[in-house]
Amino acid sequence: MNTKLKVSEISKIYPGCIANDKVSLEFGSGKIYALLGENGAGKSTLVKILSGVVKPDKGEVFLNDESIKLNSPLDAKKNNIGMVFQHFNLFETLSVFENLSIDSDKKDEDIRLLVNDILQKYNFKIDLDIPVLNLSAGQKQKVEIIRCLIRNPKVLIMDEPTSVLTEQETDDLFISLKQFSKDGILIIYITHKLKEVLSLCDEVAVMRKGKVVSVSNTIDEKIESLANKMVGENLNTIKKKINNFKNSQEILKITNLNFKSDDPYETNLNNLNLSLKKGECLGIAGISGNGQNELFQILSGEIITEGTSIMFRNKEIGKLNPRERREYLMAFSPEDRISQAAVPELKIYENVALNNFKSSNFFEKGLVNEKKIKEHSKKILSNFSVNTNNVELKSQFLSGGNLQKLIIGRELITSPELLVCFNPTWGLDVGAINYIHETLIQINEQGKSSILISTDNDELLKLSDRICVIYKGKLSKIMNADTVTAEKLGILMGGGSID
Amino acid sequence: MSFDLNFIGILIGAIMASSVPLILAASGELITERSGVLNLGVEGMMIIGAISGFALMVVTDNLFFAVIGSMFSGLIISLIFGLLTQSLLTNHVATGLALTIFGIGMSAMIGKNFVGIPGKEFPLLFPNLKESIPFLGPIFFGHSIILYFAFGLPFLTNYFLKKTKTGLIVRAVGDSPTSASNQGINVTLVRYSCILYGGAMCGLAGAYLSLIYTPQWIENMTGGRGWIALALVVFATWSPIKVLIGALIFGGITILQLHMQAVGLRIPVQLLSALPYIMTIIVLVIISRDSRKIKLNTPTSLGQIFYKEK
Repeated sequence: MNTKLKVSEISKIYPGCIANDKVSLEFGSGKIYALLGENGAGKSTLVKILSGVVKPDKGEVFLNDESIKLNSPLDAKKNNIGMVFQHFNLFETLSVFENLSIDSDKKDEDIRLLVNDILQKYNFKIDLDIPVLNLSAGQKQKVEIIRCLIRNPKVLIMDEPTSVLTEQETDDLFISLKQFSKDGILIIYITHKLKEVLSLCDEVAVMRKGKVVSVSNTIDEKIESLANKMVGENLNTIKKKINNFKNSQEILKITNLNFKSDDPYETNLNNLNLSLKKGECLGIAGISGNGQNELFQILSGEIITEGTSIMFRNKEIGKLNPRERREYLMAFSPEDRISQAAVPELKIYENVALNNFKSSNFFEKGLVNEKKIKEHSKKILSNFSVNTNNVELKSQFLSGGNLQKLIIGRELITSPELLVCFNPTWGLDVGAINYIHETLIQINEQGKSSILISTDNDELLKLSDRICVIYKGKLSKIMNADTVTAEKLGILMGGGSID
Repeated sequence: MSFDLNFIGILIGAIMASSVPLILAASGELITERSGVLNLGVEGMMIIGAISGFALMVVTDNLFFAVIGSMFSGLIISLIFGLLTQSLLTNHVATGLALTIFGIGMSAMIGKNFVGIPGKEFPLLFPNLKESIPFLGPIFFGHSIILYFAFGLPFLTNYFLKKTKTGLIVRAVGDSPTSASNQGINVTLVRYSCILYGGAMCGLAGAYLSLIYTPQWIENMTGGRGWIALALVVFATWSPIKVLIGALIFGGITILQLHMQAVGLRIPVQLLSALPYIMTIIVLVIISRDSRKIKLNTPTSLGQIFYKEK
C-alpha cells in the first residue's frame, strides 16, 4: 500500500498576514517527514488545510495523484487523513471510549474490539472507561492517535506532539511513529524542535513566513544548519555559568507547604520544602499537571494555604495577597499570558497599570494618572525591545513573544528581588526565546533570584543553578544543575527515582 | 388538618400536577444547556406557549391542535433565539433575557381578547380508578396524558444523554464545540436542534398551565416558573433525575405551604411563600455536592459563542 500526498501551490491569506504563500510539497509513504518552522511560519495553517479545518484560498491537494477536496474535517476523514492536534481535540468530561466512538458508524462492541487490538499491537495501556480529564497528557495523546488509527489512516499528521510529553513518553511516541511508518502510514511531523527532526524524521521541509525555504534529507543536516534556515539568520548560543551559592544569603524559604484541593482538575501538594539563595535560579521541572499551577499560585499569593511558612527576605509573607507580595519586591510571570498575566482587551498601558504599586503613583485620589503610566509603559517597551512603541495598542494584537517581553518587562522594571516565572517561553519562537533567556540570565547576574517552573528541560538545564522535579505534587531533592542531565530529569518526571 | 390516607393521596396528586410545568421546561432547557447553549428565555417561551395553546383552543375548539400548536409556537420563538445566537453570534445571556421580555409582552398583547373566556375541560385518564382506589388512586390515576409524559421525560432524557449516540454528540458539543467541529460534527446544527427542542418543551409547559392546571388565560400566568425551571437545571447540576426531584420538592412545598396558610399556622405568610424556593435550593445543593460529578456533568462550553474557523 503506497500512498503519495502532494500539496500544490497552496496559498492562504488572513487579514494582515500571508499564512501560506504558494506552498508546494510532496510526501510518500514509508518515510517520516518533518515540517519545521517557528511559530507563525505557516505550519499549522498548512496542516489545518490538510485536515479540512481551514479552506485554502488557492491551490490543490493530491492524494495518490487524484485531486481531493478538503472542505471539512469529514472530507479529511473520508480520504483517510488523520490528524493529532497540538491542543488536544478531546472531550474532557466524556470517557475514553466515548471519545473514540463518537464519530464512528460502527457498533460499540466492534469499536471496542478494534480498539483493544490497537492497544495490544502498539502496547498502549489506557483504561477505556474513565473520563479523559483523569488522563495524563501522554495518555490523552494516545487517545487521539488511537482515534486516528481506528479509521485506517493513510496519512497521519502530528502537530507539535511532544510539547506536553516527558522524555520517556517522547521516546515511546517515536517508537510508535516508526512502527506506523513501517505499517505503511505516511507521517507528517510538525515541530519547532530541531533535535526531534534529526532523531526521528527522514526528510525535512523548513517553512519561514509562509513559504517553504528548504527541503532536504535529515542526514545532510545538523542542528545549526536547520536553526539558521528556520530563523533566517545566525543565532548566537547562550550558556549560563553555573554558580555555587552555598555561602550566599538566603532569600526565600518555604517550609511545610501542603495544599489539598476539592477540585478534581487540581493537584494536591504534599510537604514541599525549598530554599533559594540571593542571585540564584532554581529550576522546577515536571510534566504539566503535576502541581506546577498550584505551586505557582501559592508562590504568587493567589492561593493562601494554612500552616505554610513562606519566609521572604526574613519576613513571613504566607498570608499576603499578590499585590502585597509585589510590594515586598516579588514579581510573577504566569504561564497563561492571555488570561492570567494580561487582559487582552486592554491597551498596553492599561495592562501595565494593573501591576501598580503604592510607590508607583499611577493612581491619585482614585483617579488614573494616564500620563505617568504611559511614560512608564514606553520605558518598558523600549527597555525590553517590544516590537512596538504604541502604548495605546490593545494587548491582544501583540504576538506571544512581544506580549511575554511586555509582561517580563512590566515585572522587572520595578527591580524585584525575586522573579517567579512559569513556562516563560511556552509556544514562542527561537528569537523570542533567546531574548527571554538572556533576560533571565541577566537578572541572576545582577544578584536577583529567580524560580523557573518549566516543562522545557533544555530551558531548565540552560538557565538553572539548581534543579528539582515536581511529580504528583511532590518535589524531588534539589540537585546542582551541573550534575543533572536530561535523562535524569526524564526519569524523575515520570515518577522514577535515580541513584 | 385531617390525616386520612385518601387525603394524602389527593395531596400528592396535586403536588405532582403542580410540578409538571417545571419538569417539562427544565427537561427541555437541560438538553439545550447540555449542548452548551444558555437560553434564559424559558419564561418567555413558556408564556408564549400558554397563550398560543389557549388561543388555539378557543379558536379551533380542539385540544389536540392547542397542545401541538403551543409546542410549535415555543419552537418558533426559540428559533429566533437560535438565529440570533447561533447564526448571528449574539451573546446568549442578553438574547435570552430579551426573549423573555419579548415573550411576556407579546403574550399580553395576544391575550387581551382571551381574558375571561372559560377554558375547556381537558380529558383525564382513568377517572374511575382515581375514585375507587383509596390513596394510590389519586396518585396514579385521573391525570392528563401530559402529566404522564412529563414524569417519563426525565428518565427518557437521562437515557438519551447517557445511552444514545445522539446524546453523546450533544454532550460532546457542550463539552468542546471546537473539538466536535474538528471531528466533523455539525455544531451549529446540533445546537439549533437542542434549542428548538427546548423551545417546544417550554411551549408545552406553558400550555399545561393554560389548558389543564388553571384552564384560562391570565396575563403573566407563568408567574416566574420559567426562572425556577432554569434554576432547577443548574442546582440539579444538569442531571435529569435530580431535576425531577427538585421539581417535586418545589411543587410539594408550594402546595403544603398553601395548606399551612389555610390552616392558619402562626408563621408569617411571606416566609411560607418563600419556603419552596429556599427548600428546593437547599435540598438540591445537598444532593449534588459531589464536585467530581459536577465537573463531569457541567457543559464546559455553556454560554460560549462558537466561531467556526474558515
